[in-house]
Amino acid sequence: MSQPSQLSTEHPDKPVIPAVNYLNADRGVWSWLTTIDHKRIGVMYLVSVLIAFLLGGIFAMALRLELLTPGPTIMGANTYNRMFTLHGVVMIFLFMIPAIPGVFGNFLLPLMLGAKDVAFPRLNLLSLYLYWTGATLALSGMIMGGTDTGWTFYAPYSTTTPMTLFPVLLGVFILGFSSILTGLNFIVTVHTLRAPGMGWMRLQLFVWAIYATSIIQVLATPVIGLTVMLIGIEKVGHFGLFDPSRGGDPVLFQHMFWFYSHPAVYIMVLPSMGVISEAIAAFARKNIFGYKMIAYSSLGIAFVGFFAWGHHMFVSGQSSLDNGAFAAISMLVGVFTAIKVFNWVATLYRGSIAVKTPLVYICGFLFFVVFGGMTGIAVATVSLDVHWHDTYFVIAHFHFIMVGAVIMAFLIALHYWFPKMFGRMYHEGWGMVAASLIVLGFNATFIPQFLLGNAGMPRRYYIYPERYQALNVASTAGASLLAFGFLIILIYLIYALVRGPIAGDNPWDSRGYEWMTTSPPPKHNFDVTPVITQDSHSYQEPGEEVEHVVI
Amino acid sequence: MSSSEGGLTKPHLAHHFETIEKQDYAVRLGMWLFLGTEVLLFAGLFLGYTVYRHFYYEAFHQASRHLALWAGTTNTIVLITSSLSVALAYHAIKQNKKKQCAALLIFTILCAFVFLGIKAFEYREKFLEGALPGAHYHFAEVTAPGANLYYTIYFLSTGLHAIHVIVGMSILIWILARVLKGEFSATNYVPVELGGLYWHLVDLVWIFLFPLLYLI
Amino acid sequence: MAHEPAQTEAGKAEHHGHGAGRYWLVWAVLLACTGLTVYTGHYHPSIVVALVIAIFKASLVVLFFMHMTEAPGTNRLVFSVSLVFTMVLMLGVFGDLLTRNPMSLPGGAPPSEFHAAP
Repeated sequence: MSQPSQLSTEHPDKPVIPAVNYLNADRGVWSWLTTIDHKRIGVMYLVSVLIAFLLGGIFAMALRLELLTPGPTIMGANTYNRMFTLHGVVMIFLFMIPAIPGVFGNFLLPLMLGAKDVAFPRLNLLSLYLYWTGATLALSGMIMGGTDTGWTFYAPYSTTTPMTLFPVLLGVFILGFSSILTGLNFIVTVHTLRAPGMGWMRLQLFVWAIYATSIIQVLATPVIGLTVMLIGIEKVGHFGLFDPSRGGDPVLFQHMFWFYSHPAVYIMVLPSMGVISEAIAAFARKNIFGYKMIAYSSLGIAFVGFFAWGHHMFVSGQSSLDNGAFAAISMLVGVFTAIKVFNWVATLYRGSIAVKTPLVYICGFLFFVVFGGMTGIAVATVSLDVHWHDTYFVIAHFHFIMVGAVIMAFLIALHYWFPKMFGRMYHEGWGMVAASLIVLGFNATFIPQFLLGNAGMPRRYYIYPERYQALNVASTAGASLLAFGFLIILIYLIYALVRGPIAGDNPWDSRGYEWMTTSPPPKHNFDVTPVITQDSHSYQEPGEEVEHVVI
Repeated sequence: MSSSEGGLTKPHLAHHFETIEKQDYAVRLGMWLFLGTEVLLFAGLFLGYTVYRHFYYEAFHQASRHLALWAGTTNTIVLITSSLSVALAYHAIKQNKKKQCAALLIFTILCAFVFLGIKAFEYREKFLEGALPGAHYHFAEVTAPGANLYYTIYFLSTGLHAIHVIVGMSILIWILARVLKGEFSATNYVPVELGGLYWHLVDLVWIFLFPLLYLI
Repeated sequence: MAHEPAQTEAGKAEHHGHGAGRYWLVWAVLLACTGLTVYTGHYHPSIVVALVIAIFKASLVVLFFMHMTEAPGTNRLVFSVSLVFTMVLMLGVFGDLLTRNPMSLPGGAPPSEFHAAP
């Protein structure tokens, strides 16, 4: 790749932040609000999703505090319903779905492709505005309307609850639109803006992951858009589509809802797997093992994920035929995930491991994705899920993936690419402390929940029998540790932003393409369009043979 | 971007695309992806139709007979013709025939108005008869169970479709304005093509809605 | 970035060899199909016939009005995939509804010929 002359590899003794970079190229709030620079949009997404995460976390802590005692603790039943609805909607629609694609997809995709921007920069800005609009509407709608249906909005409760639903549903619809446009943008970007020499098999695995995610976003999100609007219309107009008293079928709602919401979890998890592929190669200083298999398995997960939605409906009255079919297909996803895990571990093996903060999270990720994935196979088994459905077992399962895998990956991305985005380095010691707290706290929060669910404690209940208290207290204690860990991260990252040591262009000495420009990058990414002559993350010595997977 | 009457115009090349060919490919792919999302959007309503028609066939059959077949047929012809005119408009601008393109776009937009007008008439009829969705149903002539759901599906699908007609019409009006300003020519016509593609989707959805609602 | 207008004009004439005629022909066929669908729908209603005709009409619109015959493979793939997943949605849901216990069906009506075991 042709290099700009400010690279710190040419000035190894004195890392510098380029005098003019994307952060200061144009000044003023207005220049940020009207930007079409994908990097600035990524940074604005970062601030937004972090606020959303903070809110979602506060709601979670409220729930955990309530569950400290078997009886009512700090809130009544209705408030509890509203609280878990807030927690679910905020975490899923305002954080998990947009986070990694919106922040890191936006920031990195063009850099990793050798492009100057995404395919449709103004559409990208529109996506951000839609996110802000939808998020505001959904949040205010829930707070002022008292939404108490859970994030799943099941009919017939959602269509008959006296609580106001239309604003939050409209908010979710708008958020969906934001997601669709982002996915569309990314797909076209990958197809049309690759630098010369970058064939599909040279794409970085994070790009493959974002690409597969974008396909899901484009295909699945319209269905949820329609479905939530149908509930909204039903509430206002009483059209009877899901109302049994008018001949409708409430399970039809579940089908339509989960047709999106199951692939949605792959929107959340695929980008995080992409992050892992990048970080593992960098922190093991080794070419990723089984590049093709990882790339194809991303597409495989995206594809198979569309056929599995009925596993959320095993006890809804769905037919045995569908139950069996959905169960079998759901287990297929495990195959693709296992392929990835094997390849990641094989990459670590005999690698030159740098024990840094991201690596602690990587280890956490690997453990949580395997454990969470295996419990996924377990709940995909119909005869077992009959007992576990709507208990804390399921909650623990999906939090293992959503927090244990996705949020770990988000933190890895945040730490790994922090110097890239801001040119500064965080404090490694505090990073390790926080990482340990988080991994520990996570285990302490959710392992008790597996036990609780298996012992029969139902989800979304604000009171419970005495015998469940010990485990609930343990879970809340763990959650407090988690919260503490996140707080520490927030503090040292903000500190690093303003007073952190200058990182230089490539502090990790990573060989991903995005590191071949300055940190922070210039406004137009590359002064000269790079020409790609070798695979990304190529850590072999010149002339050295690289192990290839032979299938 | 604009030029003297009859002259050729240059398309605007965005800073991040290397060539105009790449940019054209990108915007076309983007539009097809968007059309794909629209298909999935309507999919849910077609699903609802499939499900409820199966279980309430008698009601659906009877209710379908009570729709104004002349209105539906006319609307189908109107939309198909508007698809023709927008395709011809695209063909015209590729040959630098700007006035012809504008005239054809105007014709297409007029077709859209006619379609909406007939639809409004049909909706009004339903209101008067009481053939309304769900809780509001009180149409005496069709009493088979599930008839109210037929009208639920009818209003939801034709309503969503009408919204898309309005959106498509607005896009075409915007394109028309740019044609009249002289922005497009034989060397700069991709936006006309994209507007046309969206309009064709509107036609496509109706091609399915018509027989499923009026002729079962 | 600059186009040579004369060059492109000549190129256009070659590239778009087909005239407007084919659009008119497709339009005529579409109208004929509309007539056919009205006739069969009115006198011999059959969802299968209606769908076959509709699919044929839709194919004409997609292939000729929307230039799918000349489109790059990616665009074709995109559109086809969206249709495939629509089918997946229908199959999964309808499969459930056809094989459910009759008591949990909309309207409580039994499915036409399949009775699931209680």
